[in-house]
Amino acid sequence: MNTTAIETLDNTANDPTKPTPLVLGGHDLKSVTDKVCGIVERPRPPRAWYLAFAVSTALTGVLFAMIAYLVMTGVGVWGLNNPVGWGWAIVNFVFWVGIGHAGTLISAILFLLRQKWRTSINRFAEAMTIFAVVCAGIFPAIHVGRIWLVHWLFPIPNYQQMWPNFRSPLLWDVFAVGTYMLVSLMFWFMGMVPDLATLRDRATSKVRRMLYGFFALGWRGSHRHWHRYEKAYLILAGLATPLVLSVHSVVSFDFATSQLPGWHTTIFPPYFVAGAVFSGFAMVGTLLIPSRRWFGLKDFVTLYHLENMNKIILVTGSIVGYAYATEFFIAWYSGNLTEAFAFVNRAFGPYAWAYWIMVSCNVIAPQLFWFKKLRTTPAVMMVVYVLVNIGMWFERFVITVTSLSRDFLPSSWAYYQPTIVDILTFVGSFGLFFTLFLLFIRYLPMVAMAEVKTVMPVAHVSGESRPVGDYHGDIHIPKEDV
Amino acid sequence: MSGLKGKDHGRPGYWRSLEALAGSESYRRHLDAEFLESVPETVPEVSRRRFLQVMSASIALATISGCRWPEEQIVPFGERPSGYVPGGKTHFASAFELDGIANGLLVTSQDGRPVKVEGNPQHPTSGGAADVFAQASLLGLYDPDRSRTPLRRSDGQTQPVAWKDFGTASGQWKAAIGSGRKFAVLSRTTSSPSVQLLRDELRSTYGDLEWVTYAPVFDEAGEMRAHLDLEAARIIVTLDSDLLVEHPNAVSNARQFTAGRRLDRPHMNRLYAFEPGYSATGTMADHRIPMAARDIPALLASLAAALFGGHGLQPPSGLRWLEAWRHHPTQSQTIDAITRDLLANQGHGLLVAGPRQPREVHELCQVLNQALGNTGHTVVYEESSPDPSTRPNLEALSRLVARMSSGEIEHLLILGANPVYDAPADLDFGTALEQVPNSVHLGGYDDETARACSWHLPMAHALESWDLSRAFDGTLTAVQPLIAPLYAGKTAAELLSLYADPAPRSAYQITKDTFHQLAGGTGPAPEKDAGFNERWHHFLHEGFLANSTTVPAESASGNAPRRLPGEAESPLGPENLELVLAPDRKVHDGRFANNAWLQELPDALSKLTWDNAALVAPALAEELSVSHGDVVTLGFHGREITLPVYVMPGQAHYSVSVSFGYGRTAAGRVGDGIGQNAYRLRTTERPWGGPGLTLTPTGDTYPLAITQDHHAIDERGAEERERRAGGLVRQGTLAEYREHPNFAEHLGTHHPPLVSMWSERESQGHRWGMAIDLNRCNGCNACIVACQSENNIPVVGKEQVANGREMHWLRLDRYFRGDPADPSVAQQPMACSHCELAPCEQVCPVAATLHNDEGLNVMVYNRCVGTRYCSNNCPTKVRRFNFFNYQKELTTTEKMAFNPEVTVRSRGVMEKCTFCVQRIELARIEAKNAGRAVRDGDVVPACAQTCPAGAIVFGDLNDPQSRVAQAAADQRAYAVLAELNIKPRTVYLAQIRNPNSALAAEHGGQSDAGAHGGHGAQDQGDHH
Repeated sequence: MNTTAIETLDNTANDPTKPTPLVLGGHDLKSVTDKVCGIVERPRPPRAWYLAFAVSTALTGVLFAMIAYLVMTGVGVWGLNNPVGWGWAIVNFVFWVGIGHAGTLISAILFLLRQKWRTSINRFAEAMTIFAVVCAGIFPAIHVGRIWLVHWLFPIPNYQQMWPNFRSPLLWDVFAVGTYMLVSLMFWFMGMVPDLATLRDRATSKVRRMLYGFFALGWRGSHRHWHRYEKAYLILAGLATPLVLSVHSVVSFDFATSQLPGWHTTIFPPYFVAGAVFSGFAMVGTLLIPSRRWFGLKDFVTLYHLENMNKIILVTGSIVGYAYATEFFIAWYSGNLTEAFAFVNRAFGPYAWAYWIMVSCNVIAPQLFWFKKLRTTPAVMMVVYVLVNIGMWFERFVITVTSLSRDFLPSSWAYYQPTIVDILTFVGSFGLFFTLFLLFIRYLPMVAMAEVKTVMPVAHVSGESRPVGDYHGDIHIPKEDV
Repeated sequence: MSGLKGKDHGRPGYWRSLEALAGSESYRRHLDAEFLESVPETVPEVSRRRFLQVMSASIALATISGCRWPEEQIVPFGERPSGYVPGGKTHFASAFELDGIANGLLVTSQDGRPVKVEGNPQHPTSGGAADVFAQASLLGLYDPDRSRTPLRRSDGQTQPVAWKDFGTASGQWKAAIGSGRKFAVLSRTTSSPSVQLLRDELRSTYGDLEWVTYAPVFDEAGEMRAHLDLEAARIIVTLDSDLLVEHPNAVSNARQFTAGRRLDRPHMNRLYAFEPGYSATGTMADHRIPMAARDIPALLASLAAALFGGHGLQPPSGLRWLEAWRHHPTQSQTIDAITRDLLANQGHGLLVAGPRQPREVHELCQVLNQALGNTGHTVVYEESSPDPSTRPNLEALSRLVARMSSGEIEHLLILGANPVYDAPADLDFGTALEQVPNSVHLGGYDDETARACSWHLPMAHALESWDLSRAFDGTLTAVQPLIAPLYAGKTAAELLSLYADPAPRSAYQITKDTFHQLAGGTGPAPEKDAGFNERWHHFLHEGFLANSTTVPAESASGNAPRRLPGEAESPLGPENLELVLAPDRKVHDGRFANNAWLQELPDALSKLTWDNAALVAPALAEELSVSHGDVVTLGFHGREITLPVYVMPGQAHYSVSVSFGYGRTAAGRVGDGIGQNAYRLRTTERPWGGPGLTLTPTGDTYPLAITQDHHAIDERGAEERERRAGGLVRQGTLAEYREHPNFAEHLGTHHPPLVSMWSERESQGHRWGMAIDLNRCNGCNACIVACQSENNIPVVGKEQVANGREMHWLRLDRYFRGDPADPSVAQQPMACSHCELAPCEQVCPVAATLHNDEGLNVMVYNRCVGTRYCSNNCPTKVRRFNFFNYQKELTTTEKMAFNPEVTVRSRGVMEKCTFCVQRIELARIEAKNAGRAVRDGDVVPACAQTCPAGAIVFGDLNDPQSRVAQAAADQRAYAVLAELNIKPRTVYLAQIRNPNSALAAEHGGQSDAGAHGGHGAQDQGDHH
């Protein structure tokens, strides 16, 4: 392997005469396996992992302590008040659900669109999706007043012999997020089966062999297996694709179908979906950049991959900015003074600080990616990703809180402030997210080996790598495997 | 097992556990411990005889008896007493006396405990309405901090003792008292004839007895009581006088005033109010002029000079000095307008001065009313009792304190008063009290005074007492117990009887004897006179003695004042502010400080809870660079306190209003340490404040818990609030109304035709609805307390209120409009409107809120999981969420105040106005039992029941004859936020002001309809 060439090789040149290599570093099929499995098979993870894990689990402990305190005391431990019935919990829910969009978008939509570069990052992104949805799922459950009765939101038989109210967007949420969680989990797990089999085959201890073997579902890599697998993958991708659009549309209905000024707008579904993709990619990037560095994955997650993601961030960020502008225009153009005030109040009222944080982070920061130099410099990306994460949290905060704090009757206007419990619960949810993520990178292959191999030149008859195009039909099958 | 067998005492039957069978020691201890809590609290000093006395009397009166939950023994009824329905409601006529004025009440009792206080509909002053204090006294009854037993204090030791110990001690003193030269009684203001008779008895025994009456709230014109007929008055001029809330007869005044404002009569009254700080009367005024209290005498003098100056009105002699006041420097235009109005309405005008104005102002008002021919029509003056000791009297109090300090008083009896806390600070009552060897305090609480006395005796609560009292108009009113004293309380009369009578009489006996003396004629002793008993029972049943008013047929004549007080004082300015001391609208003089309902009641104007503050005009706040919540030092003639500032629009420029009644140190767990004690600024010389106040910022800030405008508002928000207020609380002038009776329709947001997305359900049968007449509501808050009491609404405390979590189902929205220096106020009671297309119902994921068959938007507590989505989607934000288990901390005693017909909500559940659905059901059951349909007026929600102004009407909208249907069809009717297509059931009737056209330019901002001009600036989405 020519390792010196890696550093100098730039696959972001976008030279139409040459296909862009998606895997650098002169990897062959075996070295890919060795590299990715090596991370999981190391007897001990690096010390940084332990440190990160300790911090994350401690924060997870904080999360559960806060939840226990909440359950024992009441929702009053949060900063909610009369006009502002939803605060950080709902903001966090929408934030995490939004983040959970990137994984399925990358694995399903980009799959259907034949974007081969997705293979290096899809496992990663899908895992992040699952964990984000886990974090998201906590908040609606704990934000209700009587947590012990939250199962009444599900259509299960109960002693009251009542169905839930199917007209309520909150119920739609339950279904939308639940479906999304299940399909994402299935998609993620199914895509991992060949890789788990690889790990099983390489396992040196009995425990590992048993566990990986159990989850590999008896995968032997036969043609029949591959045939079924690829069909199923395609079907799941087809199923997951509408979900990417539906989940956040439904989440936006929580707001859009209410009649609060600033919530009651038809722009919300597309605007929320774009925002979700935006924030999801930013979160994937936030995790990828350190990971590829610490685990030596720069060969797989190349600058080309990151640049592609940055382009998506630039597009979705601009859509979000456009949506902000449209909201203002429509608020004025509608002639509805209450609506107009809601927006003037967002930008210039007591929560103006939050609004301008949102605009700077979400609209202005991604504009840096117009410059190639900036969108291919990991340090700059990292800064933008973090800003976008912050900005997207504030977007949800601005939407949720400003509209509630000043609605129709000025007599009930009030200002909302979070309590320390609000803050620690949110911080704790990051702990849970990172705990799950650290466990993932420790025990599961974080790059989809089987898929990456299909986009390597060696896998193709022509010996070339094409970043875009059909995966199938041109997979080179070495003779000795037949 | 052999051991167990051995312990078996041969009892056949079942055993609960092996331990029980063995009868082990630990089991017995366990048993004892387990049932320890249920051992009833012994109530000291309630003898069986006394208990039965009260019981039997109650049975005799109202065919019903019952006395709280059976506490001492549980003996099931072998035979149910005739007429007793377990769980049924019974009503007793009683009364609540405040500062010597009784208001007739009708108290609801359920299973032997009072659960709701309402006005007595037959009572001449109540008319069915009760003020906040009377209603909240229910909670006071069940206050666990009430004094429970007599206390003996000596040498720094406090010992609980029994009444008989006090009996022994007082028996010994009686001999020593002798002629009474060293004996004094300090009584709180009371009009109880029993107390008066006992006082006379005491005086005959102890000729030199000194009897002093004191309460912090009194009228400077004490010897002349003005009986008003506000219904007959067409032009009303109030001078620092809050007729509608603060006045002792406010309930009756509010009813009459409203009647005089009815639009279906030819003359709608016109109210001019001059006052230093906003009052309820000011909010109702057609012209309100903010004016320092000390400038009011001059204003009145100018008005008098104008009236007597060449209009044919003959000034009485001795008023020539008025000439000097002919031209008022600032208000000449207003005076001119009022002069013309009063002259044009001679005999139908009225000038009233407030209790804090000096006597000369009252006298001049009386002279003017006489000269204008109003006396005898709109006002009748009654000379009070010639005995000054029956009225609060600062001079007498000072004399008493002087005698106490010099050791001249050896025996002091304090009846229900708390002078250590509320006497003027310069008297230093506490120090003087130390010089009295035998001081006896009778009071409901072990309060500041009790702690400085050698004896403290628990006083019976009004709802535990037999007594008599007089209403403002003198009507003899019964105070009946609803329950035997919870603790060892006795009434003032009972205590006096201990001193005055050879054999102490019970409160019941005293009351009956007094009634016999007053109304029983000269017949034999009450026991033997069958006719008397009938009269007596009728009296108790009705709650008052008809035609016992003391209003004279011929008005008493007054003196013409010789001069004006305070003529030569230096002008007011930032360095010389005016202090305006006033009783608090919630805790009055401080006696209700431990009443959580009242502490949490938002003040009608400031919306402040759980505190008092220095109310400062916006202009003055700017001049002194202070703002909301800044702590300032108020210096007043060498005395000072620190208070947070509240910037109050409409406050007179250099007047700072401070209410007393806060800063209690021994009120109880609720009231201790709430607010600052303004009595520390009060002196005998300046009991109501006056010029000479300085205000110095300390640099600290203090969080105030305010239920509206929780947060300082930005300029854009303030503009928007003002823009919206016009559409929410619609107002017009009488002229506009006469021209366009439906003007209110055009004030709201214009919207396209409202179309439902689905077919609405037709309500068959009843369709309950409410109409609120803003022309009547004066913001007295009575409805809020009524609702709180009826619906078991929790009190959440200052911190939660500051966080915007107050639980009141019914709130009073208040909007200031116009110039902050002289704004008008719009008020709007706001509760769930039970929208036909309720936005809350569609979003609840578990269908916990929905419409019932009669169109009520009902809240199913046990289905609610608490997503709070309904509240978010409620455009009027009237839903309330139980963020915590607010009722968890309540003691068993406090829980007795609960209405047993209303669910007590747990934590995590949403709640809101139900239109008092329990009352609807009760009316339905009663109608069904009577075999008839529910009639209009059968269902009266708590808020509507108690409203003195009758602003709230409830009934069946499907019945076109019902009052509510007619109100909804009124041309003034409008729905709030109708543009949202929510179709609220509650409609509001626009407020009509009747400004003087000569002054219209000055106060033109008050009218929306005028500014609106058909389709103008108020429009919103005007695209139809």
